[in-house]
Amino acid sequence: MNQQPFLRIFTTPAALCALGFVAAMVAVLQYSLRAYVPGSLDPGGFTLTNFADLLKPLYARVFLNTVWICALTAVSTLLVGYPLAYALVHIENPLAKSALLVIVVTPLFLGEVVRTYSWIIVLGNNGFINSVLRGLGLIEQPVQFMFTTFGVVIALVHVTLPVMVIMLAAGLSHIDRDYLRAAESLGAGPIRAFLTVTLPLSMPGVIAGVTTAFAWTFSAFATPQLIGGGRVNMISNLVYQLGFASFNFPFAATLCVAGLALTIATLSILRLAARPFENIEAH
Amino acid sequence: MVRFWLALFALLISAPVQAQDKLVVSIWGGSWRDLVAETVAKKFTAETGVGVDFITGGTIDRLNKEKLAKGNPESDITFTTSHVGWLYANDGLFETLDTSKIPNATNLSEEARISPYHLGAWAYVYTIGYRADLLKDAKFESWSDLWSPELKAKLAAPDFDPSHIIAVSALLSDADAAHWEKGQDKLKALKPNFKAFYTNDANSQQLLASGETPVQIVLSMNAYYMIGQGVPITLVIPKEGAVLGIDTVAIMKGSKKAELAYKFIDTLYDPEIQADIARLKKGSPAVLNAKVDPEIAKLPGVFTTAAQWKQQINIDAKLRAEKTAEWRKWFAENIMN
Repeated sequence: MNQQPFLRIFTTPAALCALGFVAAMVAVLQYSLRAYVPGSLDPGGFTLTNFADLLKPLYARVFLNTVWICALTAVSTLLVGYPLAYALVHIENPLAKSALLVIVVTPLFLGEVVRTYSWIIVLGNNGFINSVLRGLGLIEQPVQFMFTTFGVVIALVHVTLPVMVIMLAAGLSHIDRDYLRAAESLGAGPIRAFLTVTLPLSMPGVIAGVTTAFAWTFSAFATPQLIGGGRVNMISNLVYQLGFASFNFPFAATLCVAGLALTIATLSILRLAARPFENIEAH
Repeated sequence: MVRFWLALFALLISAPVQAQDKLVVSIWGGSWRDLVAETVAKKFTAETGVGVDFITGGTIDRLNKEKLAKGNPESDITFTTSHVGWLYANDGLFETLDTSKIPNATNLSEEARISPYHLGAWAYVYTIGYRADLLKDAKFESWSDLWSPELKAKLAAPDFDPSHIIAVSALLSDADAAHWEKGQDKLKALKPNFKAFYTNDANSQQLLASGETPVQIVLSMNAYYMIGQGVPITLVIPKEGAVLGIDTVAIMKGSKKAELAYKFIDTLYDPEIQADIARLKKGSPAVLNAKVDPEIAKLPGVFTTAAQWKQQINIDAKLRAEKTAEWRKWFAENIMN
């Protein structure tokens, strides 16, 4: 009980922040229910028209695109990140381990815009990849990476990879190696031991990584904006276009509310789907 | 030692007072801020002894800030585009201008007299810019040349403002921006030629410089900047004219330095300052008596006479402010996606 005053002091800043977030969310919700008045910054009266407009094919398509890009990014990041995390945990040489960690974590220290511009240089028609392919005589015409979903996903994987690797490495490091030794002593080869022991036991880390990558990608803005070139749009891009280019703040707010609802719904579904793996004990 | 600390204390408390005495100008960052600092602000300070502080930011960021500070503005002067200026004006953020306090404004071109609240500071055009080295046989004499099947997946346009190509499509369909619906089918026919839509000036420059989109509906000043950087861009003015863009200046309602603000605007319209702006940015002076270097004056997109101003496609700024959302939404639904 004596700790109660300290608890209050420590939780007060968090409570104030939470209050600020709630106030902002209420403002966004309030805006989403107001009419847009052409030529004015002030919204009009209350209306549900904005939510009805969400049913237009364009907006439904952008919402589906967003979920699709998030899913592709999360799965691709998992496929790239798992071997890296595995190596990070199992490499014995401290120097090699540190080097790998630096390579994995460095993208976190670059801004999203800088990272995205570097991908433009790599993916462009005259970029690194196309220049190498042309130099090797493998292609005559450049392969189109820019302004495609593929290009956007490549750049997004780079953004989410550090978080995925850190989460997977945390999950993998908690696996008791005696389980692997037991499997091997019972005659399982390395592949079978991995598939029957390591992979199932790392599922909590996989689920945490995939869920985080998915949620993080949902709010991606600069990467789809610059790599997608207006051809690949996610919800954040639409919000920007409507709010900051068209001054239609009410509809931009409606998209925010719908995007938030979709994020919560998708993450809830992911959580339900992952429930069977939650009780797996690593050690 | 005591004297030193007293002097330091006096300096510290006097610094904010000096800052308060300065005229505060709200403008975009980067080269735009530098342009005004090196020309208008420099001369204004030399003549009045009053310094100039700048608040920089994006068009909508600055608008939102001033809306929140209504009645007690953060700046005394605001530079913004003509149609966004109408959003300020409609919200009561701009002072009604007394042009008798701006003697140099008598030489303003007719098109630069946007409203009783904001006046054109300089002008530019959105027109066709292309990489002649990548499009060997391309010729752009008319806006309709953009519809050529040979330009399939080669064109870029701004994603933040489709008003230029909407006005052009209307024009090519024997209508105007006010009756833009008549140009919708024409614009839909251009859809296959769009490869990308750029987000900002830097994105536009990157797409042209890399050749990703060898032809663009481009801001003339940006094109000249890139040409200066060695990118081989050809800028053309189609026979129908280019789409006129005007950046404007206004005094914020509630400014406590309105008299100085009027002096600042008068300095902006000084013919020499306007000629300097044309030289530095390859834009058009807002006044007709600026002595623009003949080499600059002959550049496509730079106009110095009343007749040249009238040759451009001029979308009414108030109409643009009211229609931007509708246009942007239609463009997103029918062209971009």
